[in-house]
Amino acid sequence: MKPVYIAGAGMTKFGRAEWSLIRLASEASRSALHHADLGEIPVDGVVVANMGAARVNKQTALGSALVDQLALYPAMAEAVENGPASGASAFKVGCQAIASGMADVVLVTGVERMRTVNGLEGTDFVASLSHPEAEYIYGVTLPSLAGMFARLFMDRFGVERKHLAMVAIKNHENATKNPYAHIQQTVTMEGILTLPEAAVNNPPIAAPLHMFDCCPVSDGAASLVLVSEDVAAKLGGPKVRVAGIGQATDTHAVHEREDPTDLKAVRIASEKAFGMAGATPSDVDVVELHDAFTILEIAESEAAGFFPRGEGHLALERGETALDGKLPINPSGGLKAKGHPVGATGVAQLVELVWQLRGEADERQVQNAKTAYACNFGGFGNNVVATVLRREG
Amino acid sequence: MSEVIYGGKCKSCGTVSYPRRAVCANCRNESFDRIEIGGEGKVLTYTDVYALAIDYETRYLRLAIVELDDGIRVTGQLLDDDPKLGKRVKSTIGVVREPGDKPIMGLQFVPV
Repeated sequence: MKPVYIAGAGMTKFGRAEWSLIRLASEASRSALHHADLGEIPVDGVVVANMGAARVNKQTALGSALVDQLALYPAMAEAVENGPASGASAFKVGCQAIASGMADVVLVTGVERMRTVNGLEGTDFVASLSHPEAEYIYGVTLPSLAGMFARLFMDRFGVERKHLAMVAIKNHENATKNPYAHIQQTVTMEGILTLPEAAVNNPPIAAPLHMFDCCPVSDGAASLVLVSEDVAAKLGGPKVRVAGIGQATDTHAVHEREDPTDLKAVRIASEKAFGMAGATPSDVDVVELHDAFTILEIAESEAAGFFPRGEGHLALERGETALDGKLPINPSGGLKAKGHPVGATGVAQLVELVWQLRGEADERQVQNAKTAYACNFGGFGNNVVATVLRREG
Repeated sequence: MSEVIYGGKCKSCGTVSYPRRAVCANCRNESFDRIEIGGEGKVLTYTDVYALAIDYETRYLRLAIVELDDGIRVTGQLLDDDPKLGKRVKSTIGVVREPGDKPIMGLQFVPV
């Protein structure tokens, strides 16, 4: 396989968008293309990541639509739908095009505009990824799968609601340093857990998970420019290499997993990504995890190999995952506070890591970050993409 | 409107798939006997979900994963005012969702 580099990264501010779906995708793409500063070098391919446009925005064939907006014809183009892992899946498809020699420059853009429909419809469109006969018909939604997972995980490993709150507090704090984050508001342990009014401020969503354990519903887009080694050599700027990608799947219905607290697909995808990169979790300087629910940051931090099983919440408690800790997790604010436009998320995680590796993350910069890891968690853990990025030079 | 929930019992190795699939995850055999899913078991985990999808007018739903005594696990609705991890429950079949005027039958669990 040929080496793949990331030459540019950009995104829109996450939140409630006034722009159309394709305008969001186009703005993030333009920002990434300006960042890459390709000059006369043409874009050979476009891959768009999206989950819900066919249903929510009544639009399909987003690859062709984005090529048209950006006047990139005759670049090859397609859209990738892989649930909440659409972003990293599209990134993988883009990397494959360069690694195989089919392309030298590929634009990967993740986009979702889901606040155009009401909450019930939005929740239902995401719930449609669950098993239609064994889960969906019972009223299963993503929060309910997370709630059932959280109750079992907390019972087994002694994780308390205060630990979940610590994830929220940390990620909200990080998001205040990220101008692209949806939520720009700090929260306190008192406000969301210990004061009497916390019961009102932070109502249950899928007990034991409460509102501040869940990511917001966001619109937004994020974009990366992938290039071959030859193109990377022609461009100035720091070099970020795609060191490893791993992907793994698991049973569709969560109840079928031998140990439902074991995020097996995260474990396998991460082992593959680290194997390809010739690296170990201890080499990693900065991490973006898929904290659609606070419990997932804790569970993924273990399954990815950063902490022993059952000890992720202890590392969090010791401050190791804080921005100034030994292993900063979700400096961007994570899905929890940066927001979660579903199809854009996997790309946005990598956008943050590219900025971190290039030393362009301003107030939330992790000093001297050389190796970075991201976990994009699709389904409820039945399709996971892990990525390791490395700065060269 | 089905009053019975079925799983697939592999004709080769006897592994039960619920939900049913085309290929046995244990031995890759492709033929199954249809078997009825249900009976007594214990609550493996549960949640009260307020973030509901379309088709529900209730304020919240209590959902659970139940481990049946025959080892099969299922997701269903828990009709119990005092839910606890490990509590004994038994299955019934009831209306679990009503999109439009077409009720869908599924597994519900009540205390033993």
